[in-house]
Amino acid sequence: MVSRVDFSERRNNIRLNRRRIRPVRSMNPPAVQTIEAAMPKVGYIDYSLIFTIIVLCAFGLLMLFSTSSYNASLTMGDPTYYFRHQLIATALGAVVMIVTALIPYGFWKKLYVPAYVVSVISLLLVLTPLGIEKNGARRWIKVGGTSIQPAEIAKIGLIIFLAALVCKLGRNLAIMKGKLIFLGVTLPVAGMLYLITDNLSSALIVFGIALVMLFVATPDYKNFVLIGALFAAVAAVIVYLIMNVESVAEAGFRFHRIQVWLNPEAYEKGFQTVQGLYAIGSGGILGKGLGQSMQKLGFVPEAQNDMIFSIICEELGLFGAFLVMVLFMVLIWRLFVIANNAPDRFGAMITVGVMAHIMIQVILNIAVVTNTIPNTGITLPFISYGGTSILFLMAEMGLVMSVARRINA
Amino acid sequence: MAEARKVREKPQRFTNSMRKKLIWVFVLAALAFVGLSIRLILINRDEGENYSRKVLSQQRYDSTTIPFRRGDIVDANGTVLAYSEKVYNIILDTTQLTDKEAYLEPTLNALQKEFGLDVTQIRSYVSTHPDSRYYILKKTMTFDEIAGFRALQDSASETYDENVKGIWFEENYIRKYPNGTLASDVIGFTTGDNEGTYGLEEYYDDVLNGNPGREFGYLDDDLNLERTTIPAEDGNTIVSTIDGNIQTIVTKYLREFNEEYKNNVRTANGAHNVGCIIMEVNTGNILAMAGAPFFDLNDTRNKDALIGQPMVDENGNRTGEYITEENVSTLEGDLLFQNYNALWKNFCITDTYEPGSVAKPFTIAGAIEDGSITGEEVYNCTGELEVGGWPIQCHGGFGHGNISVAGGIEQSCNVVMMKVSQAEGAAKFAAAQNRFGFGLRTGIDLAGEVRTVGLTYTASQLGPSELATNSFGQSFNVSMIEMISGYCSLINGGNYYEPHMVSKVLSSSGATIKNIEPRVLRQTVSPSTSEQILRDCNLVVSGENGTGKTARPAGYMIGGKTGTAETLPRGNREYVVSFMGHAPAVDPQIAIYVVVDRANAARQDDAKYATRIVRSILTETLPYLGIPMTETLTEEEAKELENLESAWIRTDEAQVEAEEEQQDTEPAVYEGTDVPDEEYTDLLEEESEAPFFESFEIDEETGYYVDPATGTMIDPETGEVFNAQSLPDGL
Repeated sequence: MVSRVDFSERRNNIRLNRRRIRPVRSMNPPAVQTIEAAMPKVGYIDYSLIFTIIVLCAFGLLMLFSTSSYNASLTMGDPTYYFRHQLIATALGAVVMIVTALIPYGFWKKLYVPAYVVSVISLLLVLTPLGIEKNGARRWIKVGGTSIQPAEIAKIGLIIFLAALVCKLGRNLAIMKGKLIFLGVTLPVAGMLYLITDNLSSALIVFGIALVMLFVATPDYKNFVLIGALFAAVAAVIVYLIMNVESVAEAGFRFHRIQVWLNPEAYEKGFQTVQGLYAIGSGGILGKGLGQSMQKLGFVPEAQNDMIFSIICEELGLFGAFLVMVLFMVLIWRLFVIANNAPDRFGAMITVGVMAHIMIQVILNIAVVTNTIPNTGITLPFISYGGTSILFLMAEMGLVMSVARRINA
Repeated sequence: MAEARKVREKPQRFTNSMRKKLIWVFVLAALAFVGLSIRLILINRDEGENYSRKVLSQQRYDSTTIPFRRGDIVDANGTVLAYSEKVYNIILDTTQLTDKEAYLEPTLNALQKEFGLDVTQIRSYVSTHPDSRYYILKKTMTFDEIAGFRALQDSASETYDENVKGIWFEENYIRKYPNGTLASDVIGFTTGDNEGTYGLEEYYDDVLNGNPGREFGYLDDDLNLERTTIPAEDGNTIVSTIDGNIQTIVTKYLREFNEEYKNNVRTANGAHNVGCIIMEVNTGNILAMAGAPFFDLNDTRNKDALIGQPMVDENGNRTGEYITEENVSTLEGDLLFQNYNALWKNFCITDTYEPGSVAKPFTIAGAIEDGSITGEEVYNCTGELEVGGWPIQCHGGFGHGNISVAGGIEQSCNVVMMKVSQAEGAAKFAAAQNRFGFGLRTGIDLAGEVRTVGLTYTASQLGPSELATNSFGQSFNVSMIEMISGYCSLINGGNYYEPHMVSKVLSSSGATIKNIEPRVLRQTVSPSTSEQILRDCNLVVSGENGTGKTARPAGYMIGGKTGTAETLPRGNREYVVSFMGHAPAVDPQIAIYVVVDRANAARQDDAKYATRIVRSILTETLPYLGIPMTETLTEEEAKELENLESAWIRTDEAQVEAEEEQQDTEPAVYEGTDVPDEEYTDLLEEESEAPFFESFEIDEETGYYVDPATGTMIDPETGEVFNAQSLPDGL
């Protein structure tokens, strides 16, 4: 199969994989054939991607242990509590990733409707007795002995569904009706995330993923620029209005977080943000050193969750923060490369969805931690504590690898 | 293959326009990363220093305080007068309790079962305060009371219930006084935070208190958070010179007096105050000190104890009314507090009064000492003496006729005193008073000793009539402790010892850290004058016309002086009567001073109120101290002693029974100290066998102590022992 590749298709691949291809070219064609025939048919393996994932997971575990040990020993009586749980989830995720990578991704295309249904049902399960309430929000369901977050299922389910939908709609996406259908099927999931689980950030992420996928799938620019401009205008007006409001009551519960964002030190709810900023600001260029954060000692609440990036800044400084951002940039770049070289649109769109997912979550997380945008609970992929999150992120990575395997290198 | 080819042709491609758009996405993401990087740099550049400072300023290493155990107060025999018992407060941590629903019911049930707490109240608290981490459900539980609940929380115990959560016990100490009212004025009590109020508790507050321990988190060299416990330093124990047995005897008779005269002519206590001090003549050790009315140290704010006491207003001045069962409930706020103060204060050291005739030995001693009289003079008493144009009465009215100086003391003749003081003159009289310590604090180690400066006269203030009245103990004011301290010096050869209450300070582990030695402050009179006064005072009891005959206890000869002082305003028929004495008559060991302040009787001017108390107290105390009897007993006296003895046996038996009962219900007093019980009692026994310190003669040449047993000299500073021959060079 590999040897009988259409040359024109191959040329496309070369564009972004020139370096990789070059040694093959220099080889004797018969020799190449012999080697390839001897090798198991795993297809193209993106080692840069794997390397980046391993580094992110390892770094994430390290930082998680550093950040959570104080909280864990205080509340769980065991400093390794969070670390152990995350380690197990990561190991499980690695297995899931390999299995997913081995399953040809075309398999999922047939299951795009079930993927959507599963997403919706898992969200509805929160309302059943299986749902678990923690810290005043019902966001988890009990499965076996553990609890999982249906929001994570919904994200991956929707990525598969939307990627397939792009293929199904085809040229129809170019017209407004197709776009509206595309966004229309996304809205129920995003809406449920917001209304049922009271999880605005997951709703935003899901909607953002859909928007990015739609943007890539359609030739249109104008409408997206318009949407972006409209969003910016509405946001500006709201912020302007809130700025001129004095009391919390006047701003209303929904907009209070904007008040907090504008002046975090003035409000009780700004505590987390302010403590996160203290952590970032006190880190300096090289940080206080691994494990030496002071802010994790009860000041940044639940530092192992959303605010973990601020502790990275405190312990490893700007240097560490940039390192993390570069790692994510490399990851996004690899996803970008794989999407560009994907053998078909479905594979490419899956990769685009995953890329959008990680991209949006990382950017929003760092933006929240630095108080660049109003606070909303978003975890940092691969690094923040969360078993379901890491498990399904790894599954997404597996999907992308499955796509990558089909790249004819 | 053909089919496969067909399928391969169909797949939709990721078009170049899509790739182009994906590049846009990637570029936007990269821009966002750059933007966030700039934001991070800006935060560090603009606020870095400020935030670093904030981080440091909010470090508190959340620490908890471990309470220390306040030291005990024990009497000279090691009997515990005050101790601190470890107790536990039950603390509710709502966040922990509500962490899982399964916790709530088992925990509430356990609380109800073990402590009988009102579950509905807790339930409503839990629902209204979901974030509460510290709520005291119940205070001062004993170890045994919480043992059952603790077993539920202990994973090693059989009754362990993993669903009992959110309850913990906070350690604390409370002060207990096993003897209740005994020596209440002397011991004082503590407020909630181990702060001593009144008496020894206040004076020795710093000694009794330890340092609280801390449990805290800190960052170690590798900047890991470590938790460290600095244990609390328990306070020191003070050993009082008070002998609990003598104190009990004194208390018994003061109480008996009160019972006898209570509600006699006025609905009130037997007297405004009755005070008694027993002091070791040759050391200044106070063996007993009591001032009626008493109060229960374990229940200091019991209004019932106020009943019968003269009422005071908001400024602490007597209103003339008395506190009765009816009006006690109307006392509130400052008024109540002032009346409590009147109850809590130590009459023996805080109240001043005109001493009356007990001052007469001082007048004579002073005059002999400064050479104004020889002591052999004879004066003529006609019943009054005209001083400064006014006649001043001698009591009795008929006059004592020709009367010697000794007779003047024996019969308490005012005229003799006035004539002696006239011979002495104001300057010398005032100097003598000063020497005896009148108008000066004694420096006794008790909180609240009154300042008497200004209550005596200076030489220039002493006109002829003042001098005359001063000479027999009127016009100037003293406190009981001043009088008895001065009196001890009059009869012990002239050594004025600083009166003191504490002989020794022990560490919490029982080791002696400080011995408090007797301190001679000054020489008041020469030994010969002292002898003369002793002889004269003995006549007061043994003499034919002695005024203090009724003070003599069965089997002993004692000496002393009675006192009957008019109070102000003159003519109000209110008197302070007293007897100040010593026992035995020869080589006195103890001095006793009893003051009855305005007895509840139609005729208050009778020193017998005091002498009878003295007699009762000494009848029991002297045999207890092992002082041999010198007088033959009359049949009546023999019978009296027999009755007393059988009463002792009865109370002893009752006490043993009561103690046995107590042991079943209450933990031993010494539970909770670091010292094993046995060791501690051994230690205390040792102490009670040998005196804590001995009074040594001082070698005049070297200033070394002379051991009376061996005649060797001891360096008081180094403890080195020298024979007369081996004295260091230069001495």
